[in-house]
Amino acid sequence: MHKITKIATYGIIIFVILSFNFFLPRIMPGDPFAFLTGDPSTDMPVVLDAGIKAKLLSYYGLDKPLSMQYYDYIANILHGDLGWSIYYNAPVWDVLRGSLKWTLLLVGTSTVIYMASGIMLGAVSAWKKGKRVDAGLLTFILSLSSFPSFFLGLLFIILFGVDLGLFPISGARTPFMDYSTSFEEIIDILHHLLLPAATLVIAHIGGIYLLTRNSMLNVLGEDYILTARAKGLREGYIMRRHALKNALLPISTMIALIAGFMITGTILVETVFAYPGVGRLLYEAVLVRDYPLLQGAFMIITLLIIAANLAADMIYVYLDPRVKHK
Amino acid sequence: MKKIIAIFCLAMLLCSAFSGMAVASGERIVKVGVGAPSGDWGYPSPFGFYPRGPGYIRMSFIFDTLTWKDENGVIPWLADSWSKSYDGKIWTFSLHRGVTWSDGEPFTADDVKFSFEYMKEHPFAWISLAHIEKVEVLDPYTVAFHLNEPDADFLDFTVGHVVIIPEHIWEDVSDPKTFTGDDAVMGTGPLKLLEYNKAEGSYLYEANRKCFKGEPIIDKFISMTVSDPAAALATGDIDEASFWGISAEAASGFESNPEFETKWGPSYWVLNLIFNYHEYPTNNADFRKAIAYGINRTEIVEQVLHGYGIPANTGIIHPESEWYNPDLPSYEYNPAEANATLDSLGFFDTDSDGIREYPEGGDLEFELITVGRYTGEAYLIQSQLEKVGIRVDVKAMDWGTVDAILKAGNFHLAISGHGGIVKPTIQPDWPATIYDNPAYQSLYEEQKKILDYEQRKSRIYQLQEIIADDLPVYALYHPKMCCVYNPEKLDTWFFTKNGVGQGIPIEMNKLIFMFDPWRYDSDENAIIDRSEVIDAIQDYFDGKITKEQAIKVIILYFQ
Repeated sequence: MHKITKIATYGIIIFVILSFNFFLPRIMPGDPFAFLTGDPSTDMPVVLDAGIKAKLLSYYGLDKPLSMQYYDYIANILHGDLGWSIYYNAPVWDVLRGSLKWTLLLVGTSTVIYMASGIMLGAVSAWKKGKRVDAGLLTFILSLSSFPSFFLGLLFIILFGVDLGLFPISGARTPFMDYSTSFEEIIDILHHLLLPAATLVIAHIGGIYLLTRNSMLNVLGEDYILTARAKGLREGYIMRRHALKNALLPISTMIALIAGFMITGTILVETVFAYPGVGRLLYEAVLVRDYPLLQGAFMIITLLIIAANLAADMIYVYLDPRVKHK
Repeated sequence: MKKIIAIFCLAMLLCSAFSGMAVASGERIVKVGVGAPSGDWGYPSPFGFYPRGPGYIRMSFIFDTLTWKDENGVIPWLADSWSKSYDGKIWTFSLHRGVTWSDGEPFTADDVKFSFEYMKEHPFAWISLAHIEKVEVLDPYTVAFHLNEPDADFLDFTVGHVVIIPEHIWEDVSDPKTFTGDDAVMGTGPLKLLEYNKAEGSYLYEANRKCFKGEPIIDKFISMTVSDPAAALATGDIDEASFWGISAEAASGFESNPEFETKWGPSYWVLNLIFNYHEYPTNNADFRKAIAYGINRTEIVEQVLHGYGIPANTGIIHPESEWYNPDLPSYEYNPAEANATLDSLGFFDTDSDGIREYPEGGDLEFELITVGRYTGEAYLIQSQLEKVGIRVDVKAMDWGTVDAILKAGNFHLAISGHGGIVKPTIQPDWPATIYDNPAYQSLYEEQKKILDYEQRKSRIYQLQEIIADDLPVYALYHPKMCCVYNPEKLDTWFFTKNGVGQGIPIEMNKLIFMFDPWRYDSDENAIIDRSEVIDAIQDYFDGKITKEQAIKVIILYFQ
């Protein structure tokens, strides 16, 4: 019974969000063909004559009543068809797939690194509260993280890219490189990944570090820590098994919350490093009112967030078995 | 003496042919970079690119038009010559013979007829071909266009813009937008597409060695997305980039760098302050003039563009266009004049709060709408107008919203810009559509059909006078444009007269890939002399040019 309610809840949530994804872009002022006539930052404005505009509207099915468009949209999604991007002039899924893999690589790598190091450093900091290690870490991490990410990125580009020439400054790999081995390709991709990933890690580590530190401090005041110490357990063992495991509860909730943000929140870093990710793509899609692409991109993000929530639910059960028995 | 040199030249060429001295070392690859957000301008097929100048440019490397443009104006391209009937309704073009598509099929007049008919059915970027009644094939190398009405821009903006596509490929394509693959990018131009990556915004082309204009001077051409074009030039990631407006400040840093060269050109672009021509009080021409006198355009150019622009022609046409009228009022900053006019219109500061009141009561204040990137200009105008007692609220929005508001006419003041200001081809208040001055509109329609150059010029001068006097918009500035390149890789970059196609101000005209023997005329006296021909032969031995290209220079020497 419990499982069925859960599945139904997720189903309803997905349906509501999909509907929002359909209607929200259409509520924005502006129309998806305005870009065809040029925008004020580029050249060549043109006047679309009524005939051409009518042709375009019917080509993309935008001349149908909204209810029909909505029906087609839901029906197509159920068939796994995300539609055709008006601006990018290609299937929505193809447009998204090309960027999604780079975003997942960038976000995945940096998230794992900053989560792990943030939790570790936060735990150490709380454990050594009031000592020099704690004060040092607190000052160091907070001052580093308070740099805006785009500023940090620019600094890295100038320092490590231009002045020292150690890292490439744009893109996810060298364009049109003939790799002799796939090892060479992996090295090239990692070489391009390092600066943007480092920027993201530094920009995000502060939050998770502070959260872990505070959560740890609460847990360390609990009676069972005292009990564990009284039992004569080793300090490292108490920190990992008794304190950290309990302190991780609020953190796992936060991971689920920021999963969606990580996809879109990288836009500044993607822009600074010209990294071909989804954030930048989504931003462009909003500007040009590309309804099909917006719907597709939001749907992917929705699914990712829901998946992250599901994962958090499961991790919670593992971390706190009491949840299961309720 | 000439004979001796000639014999020497031929002997050298023959020698080298046997010894293989001139084998080029490695491929000649040229890379250009485009800054954030992306260098992706769509699949470079005639129906796949995004309808923007850079998209058209990346397609035009592959596909050709009947006429083209260089730095001096229209030149023959797929058509060798043309003539028009007395009434300007029939244009006849003689096509270049021996042109082949890159699959080896010959290019003929049937392809031209097919292309124009296909693009009437499937709209090609920007252009309406409704005035072309029919295209007639007179023989395989002669084609005639029958128009409903004369078109003064036919040679450059119509046939110089519409690309010719191979009939044997496209006749079976019913939905050109979804058509991709090798056949979709098969043209006659100097380059062929090898690879395109949408997500990474990168293009890889290779030279079309069978191009009818001769073998290109490069082997590969790459267009890629970079984080920062100036930094990418400095690290050697790219060999060329262009900058405009405030970003040209980064370009000027390269002027003192001996490894790079810079070229400055016109942007054919204008930023306008658009007035609502119908709403009180901006419907009053004197009121609009008062605002113009209250705005210091020089200060805007200095502070916002750091000097990388010029105060605009108040008649909108760019000063580097041949149609530019130099004798228009410029409304030099004159707050006293602005104050006097506002006084005479009955706007006084009755409650002494520094802001004038309407004669009917209420503060004289407006919203000034614009997109985020022009907020610098907007806030400067706000502070300038405050000094003459007009309060302006800056509202920055995204482009889609600004566009919708302007089209609906729900504004008083707006800042927006546009390109394509070589000749009057769009309404001055674009994208708003409220300027309906009948004197302007009838003259605007009339000049489009006048084929006589001087007659048309006088009409275009009058159109500019009307805008400068009636001020439906107050043109603020034209940004400067600059390209920075590494001359070791390619040094043929130039700015096209009146822009590529319909006025695209980009220095990537495909002529840069073609060999021009006249570039050896280093003293520019229109004669290739002895030392110049020796330069060419030297370059040939250095592997910089091919034997055919060296021979072209030698032929000029004998002429």
